[in-house]
Amino acid sequence: MTAAPAAEHDPEKRAPVFEKIMLQQKVKARWRFVEKSSRFDAPEWRLLLPLGAFFVLFFAAPLVVLFLVSLSDGIALNGFTVAHYAKFLTDAFSLSILFDTVVLGIKATAVCLVFGLPLAWVCVHAHPRLRSLLVFLVILPILTSVVVRTFAWIVILGQQGILNKTFLSLGLIDHPLRLLFSEVGVVMVLAQVQMPLMVLPLITTLQRIDPNLADASRALGAGHWRTFRRVILPLWLPGLVAGSILVFAACTTAFVTQTLIGGARLVYMPLYIYQQATGANNWPFAAAMSVLLMISVLLVVYLLNLAGRARWAVRHG
Amino acid sequence: MSRRVGRREFLGAGVAAGALALLPRGAAAAEPLVVATFPGTWNEAHRDVLAPYFRKKTGADVIQTILLATDQVAKLEAARGKPPFDVAIMDEGPLLDAVKAGVLEKYPVDKSPNYKDLVPAFQDPWGPKISLQVIGIGFNPKKIKERPKSWNDLFNPVYKGRVGLTALNSTLGMAFMVDFAKTRGGSESDIEPAFKALKDLLPNVGAISANLGAHAALFQQEQIDIAPYNFNFVQTLKEKGVDIDFATLDTGIPAWRTSLHVVKNAVQPDLAVQYIDAHLAPEVQEGMERTPYWVIPTNGKVPLKGEIVKQVAKSQDDLAKLKYQDWPKINEHRSEWIERFNRDIKL
Repeated sequence: MTAAPAAEHDPEKRAPVFEKIMLQQKVKARWRFVEKSSRFDAPEWRLLLPLGAFFVLFFAAPLVVLFLVSLSDGIALNGFTVAHYAKFLTDAFSLSILFDTVVLGIKATAVCLVFGLPLAWVCVHAHPRLRSLLVFLVILPILTSVVVRTFAWIVILGQQGILNKTFLSLGLIDHPLRLLFSEVGVVMVLAQVQMPLMVLPLITTLQRIDPNLADASRALGAGHWRTFRRVILPLWLPGLVAGSILVFAACTTAFVTQTLIGGARLVYMPLYIYQQATGANNWPFAAAMSVLLMISVLLVVYLLNLAGRARWAVRHG
Repeated sequence: MSRRVGRREFLGAGVAAGALALLPRGAAAAEPLVVATFPGTWNEAHRDVLAPYFRKKTGADVIQTILLATDQVAKLEAARGKPPFDVAIMDEGPLLDAVKAGVLEKYPVDKSPNYKDLVPAFQDPWGPKISLQVIGIGFNPKKIKERPKSWNDLFNPVYKGRVGLTALNSTLGMAFMVDFAKTRGGSESDIEPAFKALKDLLPNVGAISANLGAHAALFQQEQIDIAPYNFNFVQTLKEKGVDIDFATLDTGIPAWRTSLHVVKNAVQPDLAVQYIDAHLAPEVQEGMERTPYWVIPTNGKVPLKGEIVKQVAKSQDDLAKLKYQDWPKINEHRSEWIERFNRDIKL
């Protein structure tokens, strides 16, 4: 990231025309933004009021209640204490669960990136008719309940499941792999279940990229790698960041998938919160854990956003 | 199109459609009664035997919400006087919590004609016991030729990676741990022997389900071959073609009573009582005392038969001899043990 600004003043840069084109893109994007924001001078912003009221009532207010419960002695909001936060933050077992949850999110997001990017690329560059079919296939999983999809994965990943039986009959393995109730299994299923959240923003971003830019870069003498690093990747970045934020937030909080595929021995924050709230009837502690999970997820989202705003990233209007 | 729909007409139609949607649905039909039920055998028996009988008697429909007892207590407590369901189903441990939390109404015995026919041990001022649940060992007879006899059989090295357990938030999980401890010198107030033995058992354990609903899938997918399990659940799975059989324990058959309750501030308290009373009716209990449910009856007029006689008890008197657990004592430590179990098993 730090190398990028320096490169702009690189005396050896051989593509001033290209830089100009990029600059134009940036200016255009800026213009579109200005145009858009000027529209907000009109009284239409009031159209946002119903949604705003809905959010305050059903999103912000419950969060405030959650926060208050986390600082109290019981569900009746009696007393004030930070003991629940202290208990969590000084307990190695609890901290390891939070750590595992964040790591799980990162792993699943990485898998989504690796598989989602090529998929989005194919969707964008396919023949229009094939493209609509592919986009439909990408959206298809969202149309099924996540519980149903997760149970289907139990059938696939089990010791007598499709995957193990196929590997066994091909002679790739001697005895069934332990996929169900393992972190590998959870990551696999999360990546599949949340894949649309990665692919859809990527498709939107990729579609807007002017293919001439890469050609221009190549024509002006930049190599494959330089073209990728200085042109393609910055243009992709907003989509990559948006997709990663969505997938990460969804994976760290995916209670159904985590518990059904992970079982009781792989504990992540959502299951831990559930156990404390219902099994142990310790609502304030569960609330404190929810707040801490939210802060951790927001922190990662903030870092991802920061990456997306790096100077070398091109913002789309 | 020659005539375009104007803005006013469009808005008018929209408002009309919206108003229609807001009208009460079929004012004649009674609002459905929302009831809680357990996963597995219970929601099936309630849906297929109890709900039709109840509908015939009252004309009201039933909407099920499938929740473990601990979840129900948590939901009722969180809802604070606006309960999401009118009838709760409880096992003995969570029932104590529910009564303490003040989320249940005392059962109006005088409004329930079938109540007096219950065997006295199954009458309870907080709500009638509708059945007994007994546990033992569920096993795959194709893989395990020798019928298991005690929890000790789970340790057989031959079953490495094939043993299943379930988390302690379900009564099955907790009752197993308590009985496991009792067979090793522990008691309802001290299950340390069970935790100690669990450490040795873990190498054999292939899966621990986080919720009881997933436990069935483990047998179905042959992820596990042997596990502590409910008598009824095994019968229901067997009927579905799963390779599973139930073995009772030589050390005595652990059992607990399951009951139905009217929830405090219920939307339809009268229907709730009628629903619970329907569960006590001989027709309903007989209807559930068959394949694939084998729900043990609590009405004295309903004789025991079939699988129940073969595996659990010959008569109502025998039911009294099952190995009941002291839940008030267990409850003193329940949340602590749930926490301890989760820590001990974490990978």
